[in-house]
Formats: sequence, structure tokens, C-alpha cells
Amino acid sequence: MKALVCVKRVIDYNVKIRVKTDKSGVETENVKMSMNPFDEIAVEEAVKLKEKGVIDEIIVLSIGAETSQETIRTGLAMGGDRGVLVKTNGQEIDPLNVGKIIKYIFDKESPDMVILGKQAIDDDCNQTGQILSSLLDCHQATFASKVEVNDDKTINVTREVDGGLETIKISIPCVITTDLRLNEPRYASLPNIMKAKQKKIDILDINDLNIDIKRRVETIEVSEPPERKPGVIVNDVDSLIDKLKNEANVI
Amino acid sequence: MDSSLNKSDQIVETHNFVNTNLDLFENILNSLESVSAEAKSFLKEKVSSEGKVSNQLLEKHQHEGHGYAWFETYRIALRETLNWFKTLKKLDKSTKLESGILIFSFAEYLCQMRSGIMMSQTEIIRPENLGISNQSFSFCDSPDVAKLVKLGLSETVKLEIVESLENGFFPNLGLNDETLEMIQDQFKKFTDEEIVPNANEWHLKDDLIPDEVLKKMSELGVFSIAIPENYGGLGMGKVAMCVVTEELSRGFLAAGSLGTRAEIAGELIRLGGTEEQKNKYLPEIASGNILTTAVFTEPNTGSDLGNLSTRAQLDGDSYIINGNKTWITHGARSDLMTVLARTDSNQKGYRGLSMFLVDKPRGNCENPFPMEGMSGSEIEVLGYRGMKEYEIALDSIKVSKKNLLGEEEGKGFKQLMETFESARIQTAARAVGVSQNALELGLQYAKDRSQFGKSIIKFSRIYNKLAWMVMETTVARQITLFSAREKDNDIRCDIEAGMAKLLAARVAWSSADSALQIHGGNGYALEYPVSRVLCDSRILNIFEGAAEIQAQIVIKGLLGK
Repeated sequence: MKALVCVKRVIDYNVKIRVKTDKSGVETENVKMSMNPFDEIAVEEAVKLKEKGVIDEIIVLSIGAETSQETIRTGLAMGGDRGVLVKTNGQEIDPLNVGKIIKYIFDKESPDMVILGKQAIDDDCNQTGQILSSLLDCHQATFASKVEVNDDKTINVTREVDGGLETIKISIPCVITTDLRLNEPRYASLPNIMKAKQKKIDILDINDLNIDIKRRVETIEVSEPPERKPGVIVNDVDSLIDKLKNEANVI
Repeated sequence: MDSSLNKSDQIVETHNFVNTNLDLFENILNSLESVSAEAKSFLKEKVSSEGKVSNQLLEKHQHEGHGYAWFETYRIALRETLNWFKTLKKLDKSTKLESGILIFSFAEYLCQMRSGIMMSQTEIIRPENLGISNQSFSFCDSPDVAKLVKLGLSETVKLEIVESLENGFFPNLGLNDETLEMIQDQFKKFTDEEIVPNANEWHLKDDLIPDEVLKKMSELGVFSIAIPENYGGLGMGKVAMCVVTEELSRGFLAAGSLGTRAEIAGELIRLGGTEEQKNKYLPEIASGNILTTAVFTEPNTGSDLGNLSTRAQLDGDSYIINGNKTWITHGARSDLMTVLARTDSNQKGYRGLSMFLVDKPRGNCENPFPMEGMSGSEIEVLGYRGMKEYEIALDSIKVSKKNLLGEEEGKGFKQLMETFESARIQTAARAVGVSQNALELGLQYAKDRSQFGKSIIKFSRIYNKLAWMVMETTVARQITLFSAREKDNDIRCDIEAGMAKLLAARVAWSSADSALQIHGGNGYALEYPVSRVLCDSRILNIFEGAAEIQAQIVIKGLLGK
């Protein structure tokens, strides 16, 4: 089987996000970028399936600027076989359009499964996997916490749902989105980092794909969360109740 | 006037000043080069007799000699900090954080060179000790340089630097290479997840770093970095080694030091071994299957290896080794000793020394030396735990002639010398990692700790310390990476490697001390990791050439040039 794994380059989770002064978005210049953590889990799952002999080839796909090659390279160092970058020109791309681009690559590569993070930690959309499965008209299993491929090539996926776990059986081709507890991504070892340098990354220009990437959502403004006001220490219960009643107006 | 506006104006002014005046920084370095030449000729005259440097005179003027080594260390460190910034600027990667660090480092170090450099807390080298007249530093009084110093030392710059740190922005390491950055990223993750959460417990329980962690490090390739590809290694070079070492040491000094042992043994065998020895040992060292330990130091022979007394006597096809050794790091849990011993008792000094590759069964804490003729006891230490230190006795250890390194007698000291460059670079990287660890701990505590109604990071006595720590850590890192690059390009860099080690070790100690100070009483409590970092950082000024020996090596190198 063949797996297509999608990875997004996002601001590293350790960095405090700063809003651009014109409020059009967040500052990314000279900010440390990393692979979206949920996508790391997606890569890890594909590599595990390859180690089990279920998957023969892993293609790591990213959509973004030239620098997204570094993110693909990390996926290759973790165990991906080759990469594809759909190069954008800095424009924002809605989840629907991301889905269309992935479909384009899907049609070209005919993978048996697409594995991707359930959401990216930058825009928290949580839409791409679901939209993609509609576009492909194939099975989907979202928020996966366990993936088992059966002998007949159907896949049992355990999902984290409200109140517990649900296991569903899907058939290929399919879309799987990964949740936090699916696995613990490995560290790329030095030998594998060196090997990844030799692996191929195909670069496609988004303009050559003939896909309408017009945005359907307009960002009006991005702003920082309001600064937390300092608390006060009250002397007794009575003054607490008084403040809750008269100042906070919550009781 | 609105004071906040005033501050941001000043930041912009400083940033613009740096970016439009890089020639000025260059000019300062040129002026310092002339000052340095003046000091060198002054010193040379003092320590030379009949046109040659005399060891006796150099000893007589040790303070001045070592002081000059420090002066030059500062100059080269500034040069490399400027190169770091210029490269970043060219790549459009420099920010206000980096320009702040650059101007702060130049202003501070320039002032120290002009008025006195702290070789240690209790020894200051003054320009007059080096025959440098006030006139020589008159370039500092030009309006441009005076402005640079004023801006560079301002609290505003320091505050700005620390505000960046607070928001999770650390200065660019200056690797400027996708592969190296990926290595750094992966080892940072490994360290944060596998080392940092456990380091303090390992330290407090005085445990060895667990076998499973060693296994993970082997799998990641830690021991194979510098070993050539045709011997089962990765042949990645010293810059990669520095990146890995710094990250691991940032978690726990011993984690970054495990690689040192493989590095020393690997370099000894790679450079001095026979083909058979290389084929036998290098792949095993690279895979982490065999752990090595360096057996050089003796109870009465530390820095002065020429006085070594352990004997190796030829007896048929074997050598019989007898002697006492000490400060044997990782002495028990190791499989191969590199033993320095005297093969020719008629030859005093370095010439009669030879290096042996001695296989031994791996020991553990309960039974450290399961080998006949080998015994020893643990030396309990303040810090640098995780591998354990031993004093050992070798009693008639029989070693085949084939295990004499290079199968040639009398080459031991030379073979060892050849590894010094790499070992010093690696040790400097360890020190940079420890300093970074101190910085991060101090920063986190300063952010979290609230006193007098605000986070203590807002007090200038706290943020000044943090700004100093990040500035000096950056400077030390850049001179270290410079040495590593030179080494990778096969350029002789023993002097720069010595400088890097000398400076980085002092920086690690002062960073650890400041980080602990920021913690107040809590820093003195064993449960806070900063107390461990203080103990760990103290060794850096001692091992791999104590600060005094390191300065001596540097000055001898400089005067020999």
C-alpha cells in the first residue's frame, strides 16, 4: 500500500505568538517554525505501518512557501520516502482549497490512504481531512487514536469521541486524521537525517495546477487576547460575595 | 514625554545604529588588532631570552602572559560574534535581538579590555600589565565608538533582549544550514523529553545515566558523529558534534559528555591506530556497542603528563601494565580503556610514553571492575555525575602487543596531543550547553516568581543578569563554532579551540551563578535543578585543561606564531 502524509509548517508551539502591527495576521518573520505536531503523529503512524510491512511507500506532501521543504525534509528524516511540495506565493489558502490541492496530488499518486493531523495548531480549522474525504468520495476516520490494518486491507480505526472510544472499520482508499494519543513521534536519528538529504522532493507551482484557490473566507482582523487583569485578595467571604454581586455581576 | 515611546525610540535607534555602522565594528576590531600587536611585542620582550621565548621567563610573567591569552580570546570572540551577525544580516535573518546582543558584547568586552579583564573572579588583567598605554585605546573616545559603547551598555538594550527571551525568542545560533538546524531541532526535542525531566534525579541519586537512555543515544547516532563512514560512522565533522553536544549538555552535562569519551578514543584510533585497530574498534565505538574510558591522569600527574609513572613492560608478545590512575570518568561501565603508560623508563618526559587499547569487561555499580588485576574505588564528586569517577589500580594487566596504539612505542603523548583540538572544541560546546541551561532556568524562574507585586524579571538587577547570560553564551557559542568550522576545513585551530574552551568555561560558571542568584534561597535547595547546574558548571574550568593550563597553551601558541 501507499500512503500520502500531509504536513504543515507552523509556528513552533514554544514561541509566543505576536500579532502583526496592522492586525492582518501573525508575525512569522524570523520566528521558529516546526512541523505541526499532529502531522508529526501522522508521519510516525505511516512509518510504523511501513515498518510492519503494511505500507511500501510514504509520500510526504506540504503546501506552502519554499521553506516548507525543510518540514518535508523532517518527515523524510523520520522515515518518509519522497516529498512533494506545492509551492504557494505567500497567499493564505482555505481548507477547501487545501483539500482540492491534496486531491490533485491524490489523483496523480493514487495512494491507498491519506494520513494527516486532525488540525493545525496555527489556525485550528479542523476541516481539511473531512473536506478531502468528501472531495475524494471515500471513507474517513477522524481523531484516530489507534489504526490497525486488517488482512483484507480494511482498516480498523479507534476514534476518540465524547464519552469514550469508538472503533470503526473503513476501506481503502481512505482519509485518516490523527489525534494526540495515536503514537509518540520518533526523533530523526543522525543517520536518517543524512539519508534524508538524498531523498527527492518534487516541487510543483500552485499556479500550474489549474485549481481555483480564491479565498472564500476573509480575515477581517487578528488581535491579541485581552491582557489578564491582576486579581485582588479579599479579606472575607462577605466581601467576596459583595464583589461577585456588585462588581463582577455574576451572582 | 511618554517614557514608553522614549524606550522604543531608543531601541530603533540602537538597531539602526548597528545595521548602518557595521564598518565601525570592523574598525574597532582593526584597532584592537594594533593594540594586541603592541601588547604582544611588550610581552615577547619580557619573556624572551636571546630572541627565543624562555619558559622560565614566561613562568615569571605568568599573570601577564595568561592575561594576554585572555585579551586575544576576547578579540577573537568579538570578531566571530561580528561574523555571526554579518552572516545573519546577509541572509536577512537578523532581528533586534541579535543586533542588541552584538552591540552589548562589543561595548562590554571593549570596556573590559580597556580597563581590566576578569580571568577569574580574583584575577584581573589590566592593560598596563600588558604594556598597553592609554593612548592606544584613544580610538574609544571617538564620537562613534563612544556612542556604540553608550548604546550597547544601556539598560534599554538589555531590557529589549530579555523581552525577546520572555516571548520565547532566543538568538539565532548561526548554523545557517538546513541539516544542522534539523539536527539541533531533533536533539533539542530528545533532550527536552528524555533528559531534562530526569537529570536532577540522576544527579541527586548519584545514578549512572540509565542504560536505556544510552541505547537511545546510540540509536540516534551520538557516538558515530566523528567516526569516518568507512569505519561505520557518519563522518559528520565537528560542527555537527558541537550542535549535538550543546543540546545534550543543556539537559545534563554528563549526557553531553558521553560523546566526549567516544570522541577521544575514536580520534586516538582514527589518527594513531593501525588499519587492524581501526577496523576492530571504530565500528564498535560508532554503534555504541563498546563504551570507552580515558585512562591518562595519575594521582601525582594531572596537567603535567610528562611525569607519568604507570609502566608498561614488554614481556614476550605482551606488555605488562602496572600503575595507579585517577579521575577515570565512566571507568566502570565501559569496555575499552585507552591507557597512557611509560614503555621506556630510560626516557623521562613525554618521549617514553605509549598508548594502549585495553579491553575490559563492563562493570556496574555493585561490581565496578570485574577484571583480574584491576581494582578501584569511586571518587564522590560535587557534580558532573551520571558516569561516575574512579581511582583505579592496574596490577600486572597483560595486554597483547597488538593493542599498542599504532603498534609503535613512544608515540603516546603525540597521539594524545592530536586529539586535543577536538576534545577542546567538544568541551567548549559542553560549556555552552550548560550556560544555555542556566540561562533557561534563570529565565523561567524570573518569569514565574512574583515579588513586590510583579514578576521579578521586571527588575533591572534580574533582567541585566539574564541579558548578560544570553550575550556571553552567544559569544562563547560563536567562537566555539568558529573553531569547529576551522577544524572541519582542516585548518589548524588549536589556539582558537583553547580560547573557546577557556571562555566558554568561565561563561558557564558565571551563568550558573547568576541563574542561582535569580532563584534566591530556592536556588540553594537541591530540588531546584539550578543547584545541580552550578555544581556541573564548576568542572568545566577544571577538566580538559584547567583554565590556567588552557591560558598557558593559548599564550604559548600565540607567542610561537
